[in-house]
Amino acid sequence: MWRWRGEGGAVAAILLAALTVVLLLVLLPLTASTRAAVRDITLVTRDMAFYLEGGSVPNPTIRLETGEEVRFILRNIDPGIAHNLVIDGWDLETMSLEMDASATLRVSAPEQPGRQTYVCAPHREMMRGVIEVVAGS
Amino acid sequence: MDLDTTNWSGEGTFTQVLIDSVWNLDQVRVVRVEDAPSSRSDVDYNFISNELFVGFCSVERVVCSKILGLVPVSRTLTEPAMTVTDLERALSEIDSIGPPDYADEGMLQYLRTERIVPPYQTRGYKLVELVRVYEIGGAPRRTEEHG
Repeated sequence: MWRWRGEGGAVAAILLAALTVVLLLVLLPLTASTRAAVRDITLVTRDMAFYLEGGSVPNPTIRLETGEEVRFILRNIDPGIAHNLVIDGWDLETMSLEMDASATLRVSAPEQPGRQTYVCAPHREMMRGVIEVVAGS
Repeated sequence: MDLDTTNWSGEGTFTQVLIDSVWNLDQVRVVRVEDAPSSRSDVDYNFISNELFVGFCSVERVVCSKILGLVPVSRTLTEPAMTVTDLERALSEIDSIGPPDYADEGMLQYLRTERIVPPYQTRGYKLVELVRVYEIGGAPRRTEEHG
């Protein structure tokens, strides 16, 4: 088995340990910030409308900050009616979901403020809301 | 028989057809109709959501058995004259109703959609009527979801 020997070996070990510490200091905060940056937004479809989970406002306006990373989680609890989530302007679409199914869309909000419409493709007249992108704080 | 429409606005043509049909069934004792809170309308659509709660008549059935396989006894059981599944079958045979769009052991759901273009207008709106039928005593699911 290979072992560190003499003064050179001790120096190399110290350098290796220092390098490990530096890597940990650099990489750990990066991982943490990536996790914190992605916001989950759960939309539930029921009674032919989108609702934020736990909310009671049909087809709510969803506010994002410019450049924000979000994960839309769509959950269909409408018995016997299939729904999906489409954000036309951003060319994003989930598959059509039967009751109790869910799907996820990862979205990076644009760098410019603006408004975008989200719909359920088969019921777009009545299942339609707005995503408002505002300047980040 | 008892028909309670005090919590219904009267909106929904198909709902009225459904009420009439359910009402004519001999096994039905009571019908209660309510507007569902999800009813709403906008420029492009009118979403009418109604709920029917149906109570069935009771029938008595005598069940014969033997205690320890020797002593014959009979018991009288009281049970509903109909189940939601029986109701589904009965309504499916009516031409103006037909089979539900969704059914399970506790609920029947009918969805009717049509585009309405009022006279002298080029742009119409979508009329969507959603009717859910429950048996009285079974909890409506919307209370679970709305918290």
